[in-house]
Amino acid sequence: MGSILEVRDVSHRFGGLQVLKGVSFDVAPGSITGLIGPNGAGKSTLFNIISGFLTPSVGDIVFLGQTTTDRGIAARSRAGLQRTFQTPQVFRDLTVRENLVAGCHMRGRTGVLEAFFGLPNVRREMADARRRADEIIERFDLGPWREIPAGELPAGRQRMVELARAVMCEPKLLCLDEPSSGLSTTEVQTLMETLERLNADGMTVLLVSHDMKLMEVTSMVHALCFGEIIASGSLHAMRESPRVREAYLGT
Amino acid sequence: MTLTLLVQSVLAGLTNGFVYGLIGLGIAVVFRGARIINAMQGDLALIGSVVAYLIAVSLGLPMILGFLLGVVAGGVTGFLVDRLMIRPTAKRRGTEDSFLLVTLGGAFAVSATVLLYFGRDSYVLPGIGGNAMVDVFDAAMRVHAIWLIVISTGVVLALRWFYAKTAIGQAMLAASIDPEGALTLGINVGWMRTMTLALGGLVGGLAGVLVAPLINIQYEMGLLLTLKGFAAAILGGLTSPFGAIFGGVILGLVEALAVVTISSGYKDVVAMTLLIAIMIAMPQGLFGRRGRLGG
Amino acid sequence: MTVSPDTQRARAWTWAITAAGLVVWAALPWFLSRGTIDILVFAGLYTIAGLGVSFLLGQCGIVSLAQSGFYGIGAYAAAYGTTALGLPIPVGIIAGMVVSGAIAAAVGIPVLRLSGHFLALATLALAIIAHVLFLELEWLTGGTLGIGGIPRIALFGFTFSTPFRFYYLVWPCAFALILFYTLLLNSRTGIALRAMRDAPAAAAVAGIPITSLKVRIFVLSAAVGSLAGSLFAHYVSFISVDSFAIDRAISFLLIAVLGGVRSIPGTIAGALFVTAAPNYLSRLGDIHPILFAVALIVAVIFLPGGFGGFVSSTWRRLTAGPRPSATGGP
Ligand SMILES: Nc1ncnc2c1ncn2[C@@H]1O[C@H](COP(=O)(O)OP(=O)(O)OP(=O)(O)O)[C@@H](O)[C@H]1O
Ligand SMILES: [Mg+2]
Repeated sequence: MGSILEVRDVSHRFGGLQVLKGVSFDVAPGSITGLIGPNGAGKSTLFNIISGFLTPSVGDIVFLGQTTTDRGIAARSRAGLQRTFQTPQVFRDLTVRENLVAGCHMRGRTGVLEAFFGLPNVRREMADARRRADEIIERFDLGPWREIPAGELPAGRQRMVELARAVMCEPKLLCLDEPSSGLSTTEVQTLMETLERLNADGMTVLLVSHDMKLMEVTSMVHALCFGEIIASGSLHAMRESPRVREAYLGT
Repeated sequence: MTLTLLVQSVLAGLTNGFVYGLIGLGIAVVFRGARIINAMQGDLALIGSVVAYLIAVSLGLPMILGFLLGVVAGGVTGFLVDRLMIRPTAKRRGTEDSFLLVTLGGAFAVSATVLLYFGRDSYVLPGIGGNAMVDVFDAAMRVHAIWLIVISTGVVLALRWFYAKTAIGQAMLAASIDPEGALTLGINVGWMRTMTLALGGLVGGLAGVLVAPLINIQYEMGLLLTLKGFAAAILGGLTSPFGAIFGGVILGLVEALAVVTISSGYKDVVAMTLLIAIMIAMPQGLFGRRGRLGG
Repeated sequence: MTVSPDTQRARAWTWAITAAGLVVWAALPWFLSRGTIDILVFAGLYTIAGLGVSFLLGQCGIVSLAQSGFYGIGAYAAAYGTTALGLPIPVGIIAGMVVSGAIAAAVGIPVLRLSGHFLALATLALAIIAHVLFLELEWLTGGTLGIGGIPRIALFGFTFSTPFRFYYLVWPCAFALILFYTLLLNSRTGIALRAMRDAPAAAAVAGIPITSLKVRIFVLSAAVGSLAGSLFAHYVSFISVDSFAIDRAISFLLIAVLGGVRSIPGTIAGALFVTAAPNYLSRLGDIHPILFAVALIVAVIFLPGGFGGFVSSTWRRLTAGPRPSATGGP
């Protein structure tokens, strides 16, 4: 199989501001691919285009060999694409476990009327979802906060909840926007181990981050600067690349 | 359908359209300056017209005094609405819905108060130029209706000038577009909102005194006026004074057309359907650009 | 899964209070005047209609002022179905619910894409349209003259003809609906609804079909409103367009807001207030509509959680032990 995700010549403008200028790259299946770039480079905008929050002015997104540029957010996530947000978006009033149950909503089959009358299949499905949520909660060490509204957790923990929720429906591609910001050094270490474990289980990850430490888990990195890919290669190659250094350090 | 009948209904539609436009103007002023939909706008007009009626007809004082005090009453109510309802809601971090709900509550309170003191009867105020008519292509038009159109247009131009040229007008806009930025510039954002609501109240009161000679003043008139004014305002882009009048005229003409082609009973059905259709067909054009979702 | 002793204790209390409440409920009519029971019957009808509005607002963030329209459709379906078409009573009731649901779906699909105040005003516009149609479609509704002679509901030869009897019909319906709505709230669907209320962007990523779920809940709410309207028609046996004006839509919304939109049983409190208060306030003269409006304003500003929110937060404080700290590590 070729790539799991292809970004093809994507350009985007907000009014007069050209944020992305013909960005193209592929994400290989089974890889952890990184996307780095200075503030305002257009990384989050690209994520919004990949996940369906924005339609690019020009260009296409191909996911699992199918052009998905015009498909909705939910349709993409049903196809196996999950993302997190730069500012963590947990369901604040829901407990951690309910957050995870909501995360795999698309796997459910029962409808509103069945739930209204409390039919047995609804209960069965709920029990299954809970069980699965509990498994993931254990894997992400969130046990002590299971019954606590996610909005009451500190930001770092909210990120873990968001990540755990994204993993609930076993996505084929997981896109993470700055997952390590607000995390302590030990938490970053845990995050890296978690990502490597998920990757070993076959999940492909696309990672946006400033954090060069976190980037060590990647096998391939693309550097985005002012809406253009200026370099691609291993993290080591990026560190050596004069263009990347210039973009980051301005020297 | 004869030509006269057509002209007649177009004229009626035009007049009504300016009425809706005036209400929409108040809604646009308040939305522009405070990001709140004021569901009391029609009831502010009710207050204006009731005050004008009390002074000019019940007390028999000069008409012009009634007009002026009617407008002022609208402004004062707008001020009170901010102080008694909007400000406490904002303090408790009310949502978009809570602002709408409190102003809806205010609308019912006004309507119930008028019901209590005026009963279910309806009243008519004498217009400018009395009941004099002018001929337009064989069809008749009230002189007052012409005044309504002239004054509304004047108000729109005045508002344009106010927002574009005066310091306070600009401060009001700044306070609503970027409250934090305005605060750092030393603009008193809370006070600007109060001014905005008072200004919306003045426009509402003015709408009331101008409308009262054309339609019956009655305790229930506020809500429907609000809705039609809202339709006018969103048709015109929700923040634009000129747009509100323009939207009102379109709504009035469509209604007039519905009256001659369907039946007068269905006038409101047509207007409300149009309102819903506008909201669905152009939801983004109304707010300008879309809010940022992701990232 | 283990249940903490706190949760167990809270559950035991909830059951005890519910049981005690039911005993009081069952005994109440024996001690009350006909007029008071009549008010309680209306409180039951309004609880049913208000439940739909409350759930929509609290769980989906949809302000619906269209409920008076669906209430009217239910009433006219019951009236026209039984008097003009001679249909059996349940057929009329179900027809009303189906028609209401269909209209809600047809209108909801475009309208529910709107947000916030747009949506609220769109539903208000719908209520106005419904009211005008009730007035104009005289062949169906009797216009201002209304429809009389609507038969009473009878079950196994027992006719629910008096307020006393109807009390024992309407309240079990209301309780059943409270139970159903609670089941819905705690189901996967309910979790999805609350999720999209908290963070719509993340809910979309989780694959929650936001608009379609909202439409379904709107349809459900319309059907429930229609049921209330049908019961109302069979209770009073004469209906006219006055019962389905905008002020009815507003009382339903008031019920939801006063009762607390996040609290399902709170709707009962809201409905009791809205039906009983005018009766007691009317001693003060015609001032009661004003006080009503002021009550809405005060509730929105000072009691955003409504009666239900107030009770449940107090309740939680009384029953819950100390929580594990949100920040502490394992
Ligand atoms: N909705 C929007 N409207 C207008 N401009 C926007 C919008 N969203 C982003 N931008 C602009 O686009 C540019 C790229 O933003 P983006 O958030 O994609 O950058 P980023 O690479 O994620 O930066 P950061 O590292 O700060 O997260 C910025 O200049 C930003 O101001
Ligand atoms: Mg970013």
